[in-house]
Amino acid sequence: MATTTQDIALPADWRDFWALTKPRVMSLVVFTALCGLLAAPGHIHPVIAFTAILCIATGAGASGALNQWYEADIDAKMKRTQGRPLPDGRMEPISALHFGVGLAAFSVGVMGVGVNWLSAGILAFSIFFYAVVYTVWLKRATPQNIVIGGAAGAFPPVIGWAAVTGDITLLPILMFTIIFLWTPPHFWSLALFMKTDYTAAGVPMMPVVSGQRTTRNQIFGYSWLMAASAVAPWALNMTGAIYGIAASLLSAVFVLIAFTVWRNKATDAAEMKPEKRMFGWSIIYLFLLFGLLAFDRILMA
Amino acid sequence: MNDQPEMLTPEQSRLVRERQAARSKVLGVILLALAALFFAITVVKIGVWE
Repeated sequence: MATTTQDIALPADWRDFWALTKPRVMSLVVFTALCGLLAAPGHIHPVIAFTAILCIATGAGASGALNQWYEADIDAKMKRTQGRPLPDGRMEPISALHFGVGLAAFSVGVMGVGVNWLSAGILAFSIFFYAVVYTVWLKRATPQNIVIGGAAGAFPPVIGWAAVTGDITLLPILMFTIIFLWTPPHFWSLALFMKTDYTAAGVPMMPVVSGQRTTRNQIFGYSWLMAASAVAPWALNMTGAIYGIAASLLSAVFVLIAFTVWRNKATDAAEMKPEKRMFGWSIIYLFLLFGLLAFDRILMA
Repeated sequence: MNDQPEMLTPEQSRLVRERQAARSKVLGVILLALAALFFAITVVKIGVWE
């Protein structure tokens, strides 16, 4: 256990537990879940809605904590992650495990009792999917890790929707599909300019295993599929023109940036401006797209 | 925390207590907030505001 100056074992700081929950990832999860909740037809009491969002955020935090507990060895080898509480030695691994399991049980239990058991079931499955299927199984085994693992991050709007309606229809499935197809361009653009980090850690990310050309081809391909799924809610008359036009424009920019990534031949991270732009825009894109979808659905209602 | 030295210096003791106090305060705030939330959920569930 590291301390500031003395060589003694300090109890972990509460901020380290907070860092375990990956707050920045959580903010995107909370936002997409909220959009799923707002886009759903019907009424939900604000207190129950708040409980649902809190449980989704807590469940995402649990996933993050369990992920960091299992991946401390990988995190220690990557510049981007070696400052996290476990690789930096600020916390005992067992504390992170207890914290993650406790948060997971709490979030699913409260969701079931306070909201409904369908949303609790999907929440439990998404935590399991991220912590076990992605973290333990896929991440170290296949370059398709983030493609399949991306499903875990795609569940929040479905859970938000199910919290209101108690069922799942085509629109939440489309919201799931958008995030699912958004994940590969988002992560692979990061992996391209962080390749040396992943190589050092031995994680079989696409640029490490299949090369940068293949990764850029796949980013471009997935961007088209994602753009098609993004306009689908409008094409299928589930949203109005505000969302439809905005989704078309935002997706066009996304595909255009993906095109610049596809054309780029740089192997040095310093020359990967298109990749960095892709990563930055992908986050803004998802915020805007889901925000507008919820806004449009509220107007329609 | 099994590998603590047998005796902490006053400075080390102060650091440990500060850390423990901060964690207790945060936990206290979370517990109070949860009590309020469960109360609100109960009120909504039994339909007082319907």
